[in-house]
Amino acid sequence: MEEAIVAENLVKRYGNVEAVRGISFRVKRGEAYALLGPNGAGKTTTVRMLTTLTSITSGEAYVNGHNVKTERLAVRRSIGLVPDISNLYEELTVEENLRFMAKLYDAPRERIAELIKDFNLPAGMKFGKLSSGFKRRVTIAAALIHEPEVLFLDEPTTALDINSAKAVRGLIRLLNKRGMTVFLTTHNMLEAETIPQRIAIIRGGKIVAEGRRNELKKLVGRRILVRLSVEPITSSLLKKLEPYKPAFEEGGIVLEVDEPDEFLRFIFSLRSELGFRIDHICTELPSIEDVFVELTEGGCPCGGCPL
Amino acid sequence: MKILAMAEKELREYVLKPGSISWGIVFPLVFTLAFAIRFGDVDHLAPGLLSISVLFGTTSFVSSSVIFERRLRTFERLLVAPVGYFEIVLAKVLVGSLFGLFVGFTSLLFLRPFTVYGVWNPWLLLLFLTLSAMCFSGLGLYIALIVENPINAMTWLNLIRLPMMFTSGAIVSLLLFPHWFLAVGLATPMTYSVEGLRFSMLHYYDVVNPLYSLLVLLILTLLFLYLSTSRLENLY
Ligand SMILES: Nc1ncnc2c1ncn2[C@@H]1O[C@H](COP(=O)(O)OP(=O)(O)OP(=O)(O)O)[C@@H](O)[C@H]1O
Ligand SMILES: [Mg+2]
Repeated sequence: MEEAIVAENLVKRYGNVEAVRGISFRVKRGEAYALLGPNGAGKTTTVRMLTTLTSITSGEAYVNGHNVKTERLAVRRSIGLVPDISNLYEELTVEENLRFMAKLYDAPRERIAELIKDFNLPAGMKFGKLSSGFKRRVTIAAALIHEPEVLFLDEPTTALDINSAKAVRGLIRLLNKRGMTVFLTTHNMLEAETIPQRIAIIRGGKIVAEGRRNELKKLVGRRILVRLSVEPITSSLLKKLEPYKPAFEEGGIVLEVDEPDEFLRFIFSLRSELGFRIDHICTELPSIEDVFVELTEGGCPCGGCPL
Repeated sequence: MKILAMAEKELREYVLKPGSISWGIVFPLVFTLAFAIRFGDVDHLAPGLLSISVLFGTTSFVSSSVIFERRLRTFERLLVAPVGYFEIVLAKVLVGSLFGLFVGFTSLLFLRPFTVYGVWNPWLLLLFLTLSAMCFSGLGLYIALIVENPINAMTWLNLIRLPMMFTSGAIVSLLLFPHWFLAVGLATPMTYSVEGLRFSMLHYYDVVNPLYSLLVLLILTLLFLYLSTSRLENLY
């Protein structure tokens, strides 16, 4: 099978709460895929269903070709999970924790030393005494003990400071580059911008958009922004810029354009015509944050959830 | 092998947790000593006190480990690993039993100066101690798994353990109660532990033939193992 993860119409109900309402997606082998969504969107629930930690109310899921509902042990053998909290044994040292995981997964003992070295871990420290950043690293290392084909990470950098988060992101990218399939949930924009090749935006238990970053960015109504700073600003210049809805911000004029190439040609021809000086000009694509805000703000499209 | 790894981890992680120490070691030993000092020769009380020690030792240890694991969510590590639910249950019961045996033997040492007779049959005693420890560990595990909020496990356990100390005939012989009370006694799992221990230590029993005690303890152990495993399956 070419796909590492297949989800078909997954639904999870807790009593009256429908946490996930029929989501479908496919993640290719070696791909990094992110589920991006606000609090309570159903990200953790989705990960828990795919990793056999919670039952699937309805729908089908396959991980590495194994049916999640009927081949739970096979699924477990082929995945690594970094849960939303770092949950290793506090009284055991880093090395003891890894040794225990190696036994649980029948991984060779050499793996322990390898991970300690690769991740630069304090082997003799008790897990409970580590900083959040190091706890996260050890938790990721523990998930890799058996070199799983697919790695699930639930909000891997939440509660980390800037540098630790950066290190963890680098680590995930590296793993993905080496060929590991990565499935990650996040509400961190930087993470969504830098790690996954494809993103699904989830909200109220439903996927509201899915695609590569550029594809998602095209979904937002807003066009490309041009920041322009010229001297002098004359009324005849403003008149010419009228169609681009100029707005004044600190340091210049902000305009909305469809075709940056066309616009640049236009502005340079204006310069020869009106004789102003361009101090600064730059274009700006909408960010994933813009996409996220646009797709997840306001009343939920499903109409039924509290979001 | 995985069972042993899990058992070893349990011992390292939870032996020194407050729940194991207070209810699992301090309470049964203080209780045993209090009776011994108060009554002097406690030969006839010894089996009951021993059973109480094992009950509190095992159930406290197992439930406090499950409480911690469920609260800190380390339990999910086991659930997401390629190990069977039955193996997880066996590992818990194994360590619980070891801890219970440790508390039991310590109680026995404490009781030694206050008893006149020696132990009638040490091997039988070991057998009944082990069976009691396994049965009570299973009970503790099941309770810790069925409570919605793991914090409440100790409260629920005490609601079961404290009355059992009386309805099992551990402290006052079931023969001294009104006749109808015997039914309550026979419905108490701990009765079979007390009766079995009594027979192995003193070579007599109050109500239950030791062979039945052995059988019932065995069946109860299997029942608790089964119930805990199926509870785990549905907890996920
Ligand atoms: N065990 C549970 N019992 C009942 N409801 C639950 C349970 N777990 C999650 N929910 C509900 O399901 C919905 C989705 O929760 P989930 O944890 O999947 O969201 P999330 O996207 O991971 O949010 P966050 O960003 O806060 O982690 C929420 O409304 C939550 O309250
Ligand atoms: Mg979550």
